[in-house]
This record gives sequence, C-alpha cells and structure tokens, in this order.
Amino acid sequence: MSFIARRIMSIIPVILFTWSMVFIVLQVIPGDPVNLMLAGVPASEEVRQRERERLGLDKPVVERYFTFLGKAATGDLGEGFRSRRPVTVMIQEQMWPTIELALGGLCFGVMFGFVLGVCAGIRPNSWVDSTCMVLALVGVSLPSFWIGMILIYVFGNLLMWVPITGRGFGALILPSITVGLFVAGGFARLIRSSIIEAMNQDYIRTARAKGLSRTRIVLKHALRNAMIPPVTLLGIQFAVLIGGAVVTENVFARPGLGTMLVDAVLAKDMPLVQALIVYKTAVYILVNLVIDLAYGAIDPRIRVEQGS
Amino acid sequence: MKTTRRTVLKSAAASLAVLAAPNLARSQANASNTLVWGDDSRSDVTFDPRVTQSRHEEQVIVQCFDQLIMSDEKSTLSPGLATSWQLSPDSTSLHLKLREGVKFHDGTAFNAEAVKFTLDTIVDPKTGSQGAVDMLGPYDKTEIISAHELKIHFKAPNAGIIDTLTETEMSIVSPAAVGAKGNTGFAQAPVGTGPFRFVSQEAGREVILERNPDYNWAPDWSTVKGPSNIQRIVHRYIPAASTRVAALEAGELHAADLLPALDVNRLQQSGKFKGFIGVAAGLSNGALFNITRSPFSDIRVRQAFMHAIDRDRVVQNLYFGLIKAAKGPLAPSTPGYWAGAAAYYPFDRNKANALLEEAGWKMGPGGIRVKDGQPLSVFFPSLTNPDAAVAIQGEAKRVGFDVKVEIVLKQRQDEILMNNQYEMAVLQWVSNSPGILRVPFHSSNVPVPGKFKFNWARVEDPALDAMIDKAGAARTPEERIKLYADLQKEIMDRAIYMPFQDQVQTAAASTKLQGLRFARGNWQVRFHEARIVG
Repeated sequence: MSFIARRIMSIIPVILFTWSMVFIVLQVIPGDPVNLMLAGVPASEEVRQRERERLGLDKPVVERYFTFLGKAATGDLGEGFRSRRPVTVMIQEQMWPTIELALGGLCFGVMFGFVLGVCAGIRPNSWVDSTCMVLALVGVSLPSFWIGMILIYVFGNLLMWVPITGRGFGALILPSITVGLFVAGGFARLIRSSIIEAMNQDYIRTARAKGLSRTRIVLKHALRNAMIPPVTLLGIQFAVLIGGAVVTENVFARPGLGTMLVDAVLAKDMPLVQALIVYKTAVYILVNLVIDLAYGAIDPRIRVEQGS
Repeated sequence: MKTTRRTVLKSAAASLAVLAAPNLARSQANASNTLVWGDDSRSDVTFDPRVTQSRHEEQVIVQCFDQLIMSDEKSTLSPGLATSWQLSPDSTSLHLKLREGVKFHDGTAFNAEAVKFTLDTIVDPKTGSQGAVDMLGPYDKTEIISAHELKIHFKAPNAGIIDTLTETEMSIVSPAAVGAKGNTGFAQAPVGTGPFRFVSQEAGREVILERNPDYNWAPDWSTVKGPSNIQRIVHRYIPAASTRVAALEAGELHAADLLPALDVNRLQQSGKFKGFIGVAAGLSNGALFNITRSPFSDIRVRQAFMHAIDRDRVVQNLYFGLIKAAKGPLAPSTPGYWAGAAAYYPFDRNKANALLEEAGWKMGPGGIRVKDGQPLSVFFPSLTNPDAAVAIQGEAKRVGFDVKVEIVLKQRQDEILMNNQYEMAVLQWVSNSPGILRVPFHSSNVPVPGKFKFNWARVEDPALDAMIDKAGAARTPEERIKLYADLQKEIMDRAIYMPFQDQVQTAAASTKLQGLRFARGNWQVRFHEARIVG
C-alpha cells in the first residue's frame, strides 16, 4: 500500500519541476500572448492593454509564478486566456475523445502487433518473419498524416465503408487504425524477440518432449513468459496516447488533448499549458504504476513486496 | 491464456464485421433538412458577438443574431432590428426606431433596453470586447426615448456608424440571457433574435443550431421572409483542408469553406458541387515595399517592379481563374473602395526597363541589373503563399530583379519584420471598413523590435498620417467616401503597395444545397435562405 502511496506522491515534485521549466521556457520564447490571441485583428492598443491586465500579464514574472503556484495549491488552475473558462473543465471536455482514440488505437495496435509478432517469432528468419517485420517497420515509419489521408481516400471515398468525420463508433475506426499501425510496429518487434528468446528456453523443450501441440506451446508457455516487455511498451504507449495524438486528431477532425496542448503552447496560454502538464504527468505516473502492478498478474514470480 | 486468445479473436472478428458493414453510421448529411457545414477551424471559444474577433466564430454568430441595420454581401442596407435611422448632421448622434414584435430565442422581447444593454456592455471593460469596442468608436451613451425608439450619442463625429451597425460584432444580445448565464455562460450558449437558435456544442467537434420557428423579421434583401427551410445546422470543425474535401465528396458535408483552389476546380468539374467564391472585403492580398531600404527607397524602382509583373496572367495561372488579380489596396466589396486604383501600374515590361535604366540600374551579368557594384536584389520572406512569391520572382527576373524568396514560419517572419531585414512582404486583412488602411499605412504602426505591427512599407509621413486621421474623423458619410478615395489615390501614387490578388473565400457546396448567401464582407455564409433539394 505504501508503495502505491509513495508512487502517487512522487507526482508532486515532478509536476513542480515541469511547471517551472515550462514557465521559464514560455517566458523566454518571443511573442506576447495578447498579440498572438489578437493576431490578424485590427484591435487597438487600448484593447490589447486591457487584455494584458485581465490576464495579469502586466505583473512581474516572479509575482505571476508565485500567484499561480498559490492558486494551484488550492486546486484552482485558472482560466484559459482566450476561452475565459476554467481549464479543468476544458480538459474534462476533451478527455473522453482522447481516451476513446487511445483505446481504439491500442486495440488495433495490439491486434496487428500480436499477429505480426507471433507469426514472425515462431518462424524466425523465414520469409514469414521478414514479411511481418517489414510490415511492422512500415507501420512505425509511415507518418500518421499520410496513413490517415490514404485510409480516408480508400475507405471513406472509394469504398465508402466508414464515415470520415463526425461522432460515434464508425468515425472512430479510421483514426484508431492510424494510431494502431504506429503502436503495432514496436509491439510486434518486441513480441517477436521475446518469443524467440522464450522458445529457446528449457521449459519449452520439456513441453515439446511432453508431446504438446505447437499452438499450445506457443500460447500457453512461450507467450506468457514473453509478455513482460511488450506490456511495458504498451503501457508507455497508452500513456503517450492518452496525452493526445495531434496529427491523427487533426486529420480526422477529432477533438483531443494533443491538439489542445499544441494550440495552448502556440498561443502561450499559460494556465491551460500548466493544467495539461499536471494531467499528462499524473497520467504517465499512474499508468506506469498500473503496469508495475500488472507484472504480478502476468508473472507471479514478480511481486511487489509489502513495504519495500 | 484461453481468455486472451478468445478476446483477441473476438475483437478481430468484431473489427472485420465493422469494416465489412457498408455505410455504417453514415453521414448526417443525408438527413433531410439538416445542413452539415465543414468549417476550417479546430474549435471556437466564444459565440458572444460583443467579444469575438474571430471570423470562425462569426460563422455561427451570423446565423443566431440580427443587427439593427442588415447588410447583404453587396453592402445593400435594409432595416433589420431597426426600421429607420437618422444620423444627425454633425454625425454625433443616431436616432433609431426599432421593430416591434421581435422576440429573442429565450422568449423575452426585443426593445430599446436590449440595444442600450448591448452597446453599454460592449464598452464595459468587464466584457473584454476584442472587436466591437473598437468599431463602436467614440460611443458616449444610449438615450431611450420609448420602448422602441432611441438615440445613440457619440463623443465625436462618427460618420461610419451606419456601416458599423451592420457588422456581426454589433449583433443585439438578450439582456435576460446575459443576466442569467453571465458573460462566460452566454459565450457558450448565446441567445439572439436570428433565424437559428443555438442548441449545443461539443468543443472541437461540432455546434448544433436549430431553426427559429418564430422568425419573420428577415431583411428586405432576403428571399425567405419567414423561418428557414433548414431545420437543423451541424457546424463541424474540420481543420485539415484535405479532410474537408474528402468529407464533402463522401457526402458527409453539404458545404465547406476555404478549400484549395485546385480542389474547388476539380469538384466543380465533377458536376456534383459548385464553387461558392467570395472576394473578401478589406485589404487585398498585396506586397508592401519597404521604402527605408535600397532599392525600394527609390519610387522608380517600386513602379518598375509593379509594371514588370503581369498580375492578371500570373493569378489566372495560379488559381485556374477562380481568383482574380487585385486592383487596389481595398477589395471592391469594401465600402469606400476607389475604382480609380485599377488604372495604376498596368503590366508593361518596356516601361519597367525604362524606369530602372532611368534610376541608374544597368543590366549586368546573369540578367541581374547592377548599380554602383550592387546587384538589384530584394529579399522577400513568404509566410502564406510561396507559389505566388515564386511566380513574382520569375516575372521580376525578366526585367533584371534578383528576388530572393524565403519560405518562413510566423516566428521568423515576425523577427525579420520587426528588425527591418526585408525589402517586401505580403499582407491581407478581412475587414468591412476602409478604416483598415490605418493598419498598414499609419506611422504609429511601423514595427519595432518587440512590437509587431503592420506598417511593413515603413512609411512615416505626417502628410499621409493626416489624411488617414482626417478620413477616420469624417463628419458625413459623403465626406468619408471622398476622403478615403483620396487616401487610396495617395497610396497608389506613392507606389508603396502592390496589389496582387483578391483575398478569397473558396467555399464549395453540393449542388443539392441551394440558396447560400455570403454575409457582409464575403467571408461567412448565411444559411437562412438555404434549402436542400433532391
């Protein structure tokens, strides 16, 4: 229990450090948030000045930093510069579409990666292996925007099987495949190498000697022991995806936290950037914690000892 | 382990089934009387007309609100929420009679109180207006004469006020709704008197609007007098242009804005879509010559540059005839546009050569002119339209200019412009007022390090400033038009700005969607008169 509590508590110093770094970086890079917000608008200098006062940008940097920390300590992360709405509400609104895409991407990624990885791993150095690994490499290497556009063209425009934009399950398919192809690449390579390694172990030879079928050996004995590295990778990828997939969101016109963060940084929308960082850091640490705990379930030899 | 295998097989089978099911959950665009619009933005943050300065947000606002005076896309004025208006001879007050029987979407009555509330809150710093407050200019107060009659007073002459009141930012809001929801709440669920009412929004995905069944106060120029034929509008955010095109072709959208000219051309040729092209009001897309640096410090070189570019042909080739070459600093759809600008600097390569010879630039090696050992070289950073920059480069080379084009990002452009490290730069601006000329030509707007401003010609001349100030403070509408015409002539005479192409809204719509009309300024599209056929 205390292991879990300690891991969760570790979020605080990490967030404090990242906040400070982001705060400094956003001060250093040129550009006035008000001018960025009113870019391309003939707003008068009075309007601009009033906006600066409203956002507290007329105060010294140090004062702004500590005011922000003070408010954050009471749970108030502030309002978005342009939206004038609480940033926590803004993040909540975008959270579900992001999780939806992360889960969809992970499902397709695991499915593709699993099939490719297992096929390649049980027949190493065969043509099946080479084909699967080339496919995995293609998945990792192709840029998401390109894959997205090709999928839109083929399945949305030519075959007209699935909707391109909009909401609902149908509109989630193409973006999930786009994300999934990327996830699948790394996953497949790890499964392959883990299986090859597991297949050379003594217990596999024993299983063969017992006369077990090949499928049973692979699925029951090899895979279970080969799962630790891929599960770690999946966890990390899930944590990344849950922070948003900017390019995929953009191509498929989906809302999401990735786009929100990019926009917030470009607009130097400090409160929103800071809040998104809390969210991302927390998710990252929590997902990693869940993975650590999942090891125990996959492989009973690994157990987190009480109090350690 | 069996569970894993089963789960995997199950999910694979489910996915295949989904992939094989044709037209799954297909397109709201097929639902009758629901219009689906693809907008080129990622998300909107406020639908409060008093606050906004965003053309994207106005695409929604223009459906939900009315203005006191309503203007169509050709600047034809019609009574809107006001039935008559009278500007005092010195332009310091405007007497308005209001329409009776108009109701806001929340059921409350529209009256003089609502107008006063709207104008008073626009100038209230708490509202944080980013557009309307500047437009309203020297606003003093609103005097209510009766429930449907009022007078707006100004601290100084405001000859442009009638034009101003037609702006989307001047839409009249429901005081009851603002009171109940507060400014922040109102910005997310606006209440007006327009042909559509706001239903809901999902940030970054879509906004839903619904027909206002009580609407019967349409402007004179509207072909539909009562409620719209369209029952529902889905305003979908699709930031990627290629996705808007794909969704339009897949039948998921009825119409979408800002499509690449190449695609609009192709869509039109398919016969299933028609381009809906509007020349935006405001500053045309054109290049400002930096007059503080050689060679453009010499007016003859600037004139020669303009004579050297066959703008009609270049623009025709770049955009398949969908976009035309611009003929002056202001677009023709801008009030106060001066047609005389079109006669300036026609394409004439001989004249360009002669002017350069006269200025002392002699033809040198490699076809680049030289003077005092210096080549005739100009640096042209390009942010938004590299194709046009390269076309200009090619044309200018033929009379001996060496145009160095660099494709830049915003940050780099800002740096170059603030630090005066360029010879020419392109500017364009959507605006319904000739007052926009102040932005690139008044000396107070010359960029300096740390202050990004738009006088990229870097012209600092008290005489020109005086003309700009005087036009802005004109006492009568006639005088205003005259002064702005003089100003446009002066800008063309000085050869500090080369109009290049019209700034264009390249929307396209399914041929099944009819009755679209641009809002004033030719950017937003009004849906009140729209209908879906077939």
